[in-house]
Amino acid sequence: MGTSITYYLQEMLRGEWLRKFLFVKTAPYETPPHFRDYPRLTGKECNRCLNCMMICPTPGAIEVLKTEEGWNPVIYPGHCIRCGLCVEACPEGVLMSGRILESQFYENTGYSYTFHLTVDTTRCMRCGNCSVACPINKEEDPQLAAGGTGANDEVIMRVKGGELQILHEEKCTGCKTCEETCPNSAIRVARVIEAIHVAEEEG
Amino acid sequence: MSFLQSIKNTVRSRSIHVSYVNVGSCNGCDIEVLAMLAPRYDIEQYGIYVHNNPREADILLVTGAFTPQWEDKLKSIWDKIPEPKAAIAIGNCPISGCVFNRRGSFVDPPVAKHIPIAAEVPGCPPRPTEILNAVLSLAPVVFKDYEEKQQ
Repeated sequence: MGTSITYYLQEMLRGEWLRKFLFVKTAPYETPPHFRDYPRLTGKECNRCLNCMMICPTPGAIEVLKTEEGWNPVIYPGHCIRCGLCVEACPEGVLMSGRILESQFYENTGYSYTFHLTVDTTRCMRCGNCSVACPINKEEDPQLAAGGTGANDEVIMRVKGGELQILHEEKCTGCKTCEETCPNSAIRVARVIEAIHVAEEEG
Repeated sequence: MSFLQSIKNTVRSRSIHVSYVNVGSCNGCDIEVLAMLAPRYDIEQYGIYVHNNPREADILLVTGAFTPQWEDKLKSIWDKIPEPKAAIAIGNCPISGCVFNRRGSFVDPPVAKHIPIAAEVPGCPPRPTEILNAVLSLAPVVFKDYEEKQQ
């Protein structure tokens, strides 16, 4: 018993031990480079497709603005949640954050999107403004006149039998002209995003 | 600098008491504040103590997008903190409202409208190191030579 107490006392009165016990600190934590931080510009040219702004989940976090160097996305730190979706959605690789671009390159992942049209039948008055205003409808059937009725079934939407029919949703380009011309806010254009994995071509 | 002031400076540099208040956040930022207490980040080695009593606190960490229930309560918490004091906004919510600041939601950001905010830490949530850096870099600005600056 006596020896063990003296052993402990000897051990704990060493200067090195006391200094460590009183003053040592854990090493400051360095942020590893692969962590997703606020997106930064890579210097590639932005072509203003605004995919980054469309995919951003937060209001007011990203804007594509014109400066002396040209158009470039600007990130606002008080709004950005560092999810990295804008980095993934950009087709030109203008933004970078962590190792998102690298993993996207190796894994061949990306986003594809389609447009989904919903009509609120309780609000829709079957006026046909949407069918007439739609620029794709105009290409498909120039005869589609006021009222939005027509025999052509290659159009995106038309009024037939007192109903607004959505025929070819896949032709929609998401311009939202129908939403703007609808007097009763009955039609809605939604962008449906799908994460895709492009398989490597064989051979 | 008076002798008393230098003693106060020394003491205050090693003993910052922090109180945190959640004014309608999703709890993510509160978890990051708790992570600072864990041994990996260990804020107590820098002399910062989480001490959830505003009457004993020096720094108030505010998280959340300010829901209407806090309209009068946050101000009264702020008034309870003795001088010298400072408030830090943790995360995006007290700065801008972030994802909660949409049409039809009952939040009233920024928190700087309601109490004076000395520093803001953006992020959703901010990393524990970022919160730690904010507290450590704000403390000397507010507490060093406080009595002499008052005169």
